Amino acid sequence: MAESNNQDLVTLTVDGMTTSVPQGTLVIEAARQVGVMIPHFCYHPKLTPDANCRMCLVEIEKLPRLQTSCSTKVAEGMVVKSNVPHVDEARKSVLEFILANHPLDCPVCDQGGRCDLQDFSHQYTPTTSRFTELKRVFPKEYFSPLIETQMNRCVQCMRCVRYCDQVMDVKALAPSGRGTLTEIKHFSAHELDCEFCGGCVQICPVGAITSRLSMYDFRPWMLKRTDTICTYCGDGCHITIQKKQDELIEVNSTQGVGRNNGDLCARGFFGYHASVHPDRIMHPLIKQQDGRFAQATWEEALELVAEKFQGIKTAFGGNAFGGLVTSRCTNEELYLFQKFMRGVLGSNRVDSSARFGHVNGTLPLLSVQGTHRWTATFEDIVDADALLLIGTNITETNPITGLKVKQAVKQGHAILVTMESLLPARGTISNITLLATHHLPVRPDHYHIAIVGLIKSVLDNGLVDPGLETRAPEFFRAIKAAIDSTSWAHIEEVSGVSREVFSQSAHAFSSSTRGMIIVGQGVLRSPRGAEMVTNLLDFLILTGRHGQPGCGLCPLAEENNDQGAIEMGATAEFLPGPIAIGHHDTRQALSKLWEVDLPQEPASSLMEMFRDAQAGQVKAMYIVGENPVESLPQTGKIKEALESLEFLVCQELFLTETAQLADVVLPACSYVEKDGTFTNTEGMVQPVRQAIDPIGESRPDWEIFSALSVVMDQPMEYGEARDIFKEIRSVIPGYGLVGPVATRPTPKVDVVQQYLQEGFAHGLATRYVCTQDQPASDTPFLLASTQSLFHSGKFSTRSKGLLQIQSSGAIMLNPSDAKKLGIASGDSVCVSNAHGAVTTIARVLNRIPPDVACFPEHFDQDIRCLFELHIDKESHVPYSKLTWVRLERVEKGDV
Amino acid sequence: MKFGEWVKTLIFYEILMGMKATLTHLLHYKPITLQYPHEKKPLPPNYRGMLALLRYDDETEKCVGCDLCEAACPSRVIQVYSAEVPGEPTKRYAKEYYMDMTRCLFCGQCVDACPVDALGMTQEFEWAVYDKRNLQLNKQQLLAIGDRAFPVREKRIEFQHPNVAYFNVSFGDIPQKDA
Ligand code: SF4
Ligand code: SF4
Ligand code: SF4
Ligand code: SF4
Ligand code: SF4
Ligand code: FES
Repeated sequence: MAESNNQDLVTLTVDGMTTSVPQGTLVIEAARQVGVMIPHFCYHPKLTPDANCRMCLVEIEKLPRLQTSCSTKVAEGMVVKSNVPHVDEARKSVLEFILANHPLDCPVCDQGGRCDLQDFSHQYTPTTSRFTELKRVFPKEYFSPLIETQMNRCVQCMRCVRYCDQVMDVKALAPSGRGTLTEIKHFSAHELDCEFCGGCVQICPVGAITSRLSMYDFRPWMLKRTDTICTYCGDGCHITIQKKQDELIEVNSTQGVGRNNGDLCARGFFGYHASVHPDRIMHPLIKQQDGRFAQATWEEALELVAEKFQGIKTAFGGNAFGGLVTSRCTNEELYLFQKFMRGVLGSNRVDSSARFGHVNGTLPLLSVQGTHRWTATFEDIVDADALLLIGTNITETNPITGLKVKQAVKQGHAILVTMESLLPARGTISNITLLATHHLPVRPDHYHIAIVGLIKSVLDNGLVDPGLETRAPEFFRAIKAAIDSTSWAHIEEVSGVSREVFSQSAHAFSSSTRGMIIVGQGVLRSPRGAEMVTNLLDFLILTGRHGQPGCGLCPLAEENNDQGAIEMGATAEFLPGPIAIGHHDTRQALSKLWEVDLPQEPASSLMEMFRDAQAGQVKAMYIVGENPVESLPQTGKIKEALESLEFLVCQELFLTETAQLADVVLPACSYVEKDGTFTNTEGMVQPVRQAIDPIGESRPDWEIFSALSVVMDQPMEYGEARDIFKEIRSVIPGYGLVGPVATRPTPKVDVVQQYLQEGFAHGLATRYVCTQDQPASDTPFLLASTQSLFHSGKFSTRSKGLLQIQSSGAIMLNPSDAKKLGIASGDSVCVSNAHGAVTTIARVLNRIPPDVACFPEHFDQDIRCLFELHIDKESHVPYSKLTWVRLERVEKGDV
Repeated sequence: MKFGEWVKTLIFYEILMGMKATLTHLLHYKPITLQYPHEKKPLPPNYRGMLALLRYDDETEKCVGCDLCEAACPSRVIQVYSAEVPGEPTKRYAKEYYMDMTRCLFCGQCVDACPVDALGMTQEFEWAVYDKRNLQLNKQQLLAIGDRAFPVREKRIEFQHPNVAYFNVSFGDIPQKDA
């Protein structure tokens, strides 16, 4: 936060203790700093003061009557008293009024034991009441499958309503009625439909809003807490897993703690049951002659794997192995996996799920500015004065980064330019484009041309950094020449955005001093992703924002440890660091440390491995936690490739399609059963801690790698995950040594200089050329496989809580298209193209742009067959998120 | 030695005096020892004997599964597993309830802690068993003890006062938690 030291300090006395706090601090906060806790209901540091509960009354000398400390700002020489008898009297009467209507059903109330009202009543009121009148009773209403309300317990503090509006920008809750008969309701006639972030559950000081998922399963004093990191997206939220014995009960977050500062999204708050799904693999499995799996002991399984691996290594050499690991693993595991592949098996064919998109962000960052991380942090987003969001769908993909953007706009009044394929329409979940000062509605396949348009307006409107032309004349001229080849008419026609809107957006962004670009999956996971990111870096350089404090380009990580996977060297092109695979000194150092010779063969990435497997060059694969058979379309022939292998080992939580093909399946632990670290999207390395014992006979992935290496006689032995981390630190000095805030690397001057002089020329011939995929007349709809707020990959579809919010996919359509086709929500619709036809349910949503249909990737098992696979020539990223289809109504729905 | 003293010595006067109480007792002898188990001593009404779970007059269980007894018990006798009553949405009860009576010290803290008077201490004390495991009691056993020890039952809490009319009641129009 921008808190400067020379800010005016105000000195005041609270209960005899004198303290100095910055001007504008609230009395309640100043008191907290000297250790005086003033009881309160409606105050919350995150929300604007409402002063409606009167619980926080204090005496302030020279002021008549008692004052609400939650809304009074400190003043010089103020003398505050909270421990005098008439303040106590006031508290007593406030509580008496609340209790007069309170049901006091604490024995069956899930808040009992951690309830502010309970605590304050114990502290300030007698155990008897003077009221004999009847209590208020609200008719009980069903709220939602995950959130339970008991309005008789409500103290009408409006925290929930304010949180939902001010922080989440969802506005799902509202008070209705007057006085003591005020009741909190949601807007819709049916059950609650919102983002299900759980914020209202957490912020309600009493038991009026509680979680229905854990209803009646626990009492607060039974819970054992484990502070760890959420596994569902790259935001890396700090969560507290609460368990009773070995049963997962709930997830909390803490105000002021973690990168999320106490906020969570639905996946983090309600998604914790995925780890304890009954389908978890409990034992190692070995495939028999008849193709069925038989339960085996760890010894049998590991010995079989070791024997086969040794055999293949002797016969065909290390290059016959391929390894694929999920970026949901911890840093320690990712490091150990690549060490196992490179050191023990001797293969350079290592890749992780960061290949699916995150490398498209990292590679350009490395080549243009020499950093593999963001040059900014979440704090910089909040402090930014201009933000450019491109293809992020931020609410659904990275909800907490989304909250930072919302905070920047709503509290910091930052300029927000959104280039998104969302329409600014109000819906049940928040929509970032509604907050935008400038919104460029762009179809999911048009980001490239829209980015070119934006850069063209910078050049055409003379918004280029004045010094640049002299500093880097070739760069400037070359970019200008490349851009000039695309005409405005073409840009306007294809993107559907007018030249004025581009100019206004470019003006808005260049007028800022702290400007950030946030790039999401819409760019990173679509064809030419790396080129678009490079172009955006050009945009930053042209506008003179590159390398400035609080500025930068930030690619969002989709999986929780995408960033870590790259830094741990679990991608084809990098050794840990990340250092380019060919870097001589690093190879030497690693050879020495690991006591092996590193393989010399060229590295091969995900898709090359499958290609070579089919060609018979890769004989065995080790797939950890990834399910390429399901996540890549059939045209990729992944299944055929895996079937042609001599030996396939899968290390998994569930028997996925890929694991079904394996010869040996090793049961691994989920994030709640192991220790380690995750690196979030902004490069913050955070500790993950074990909350429950491993399910069945499953073991943490790193233990399995370690055990296997021992059986193979090339031991990599570690006592605990922390020992691996120590080794990582010896390879990457200072790794993870950060305070509460991520360190921001600055662009490397020499790399940037090199880029401006000649590096820019690489790929320049193509990266500004806009190619256009025209829809065939019989397949007019662009089908996009998108992220949903309520799921993350397919892991979350095993979580019973999230399934209650969203249990199946639906094809989402714009109302105007739906009308044209005669489709209504709930109808079954046939989606087809040359690859096949799939029938699914339709959902009409205002935020979907015209001519586009979206389907959540988490439920795309059937619809996957309609997609094709494109492989990026440069970054080898497989793209399969967009395709052209036609839609027809098959049957009317029941709704 | 005086004559008087001599006579006292002769007739063992001190011994007789010492035995006076005993000898008097011998004349109107009344035995104190109870011939247990044929005879039993009446117990005071507040006797703290075997614990029991109680029911309301309509046979429903009183216990709402609040776990307060478990929290109050100094020797960790009690284990409560609470849940929503099947078929009665939003109503809470103890799905499972266990007492390990080998550890109970009959302090009565649990009875005091219970907000709905679902626990009672009976007059039963004859619980010597050959196998300690027979002192691990479950909910059904504890209810059975209550049934035989407390034949007179209270009416349901909802009917006791309008202000508790909505205490732990079920709402039929609401779906079950895990439905
Ligand atoms: S909200 Fe608090 S005071 Fe009210 S019933 Fe629940 S625990 Fe008791
Ligand atoms: S439901 Fe809770 S947070 Fe909302 S107004 Fe009532 S007491 Fe406050
Ligand atoms: S899914 Fe992402 S935003 Fe949501 S709680 Fe987890 S880390 Fe945070
Ligand atoms: S009587 Fe005392 S020791 Fe026995 S169960 Fe109750 S609280 Fe525990
Ligand atoms: S016996 Fe009483 S104190 Fe114990 S769980 Fe049941 S209702 Fe609560
Ligand atoms: S906390 Fe100050 S009035 Fe509610």
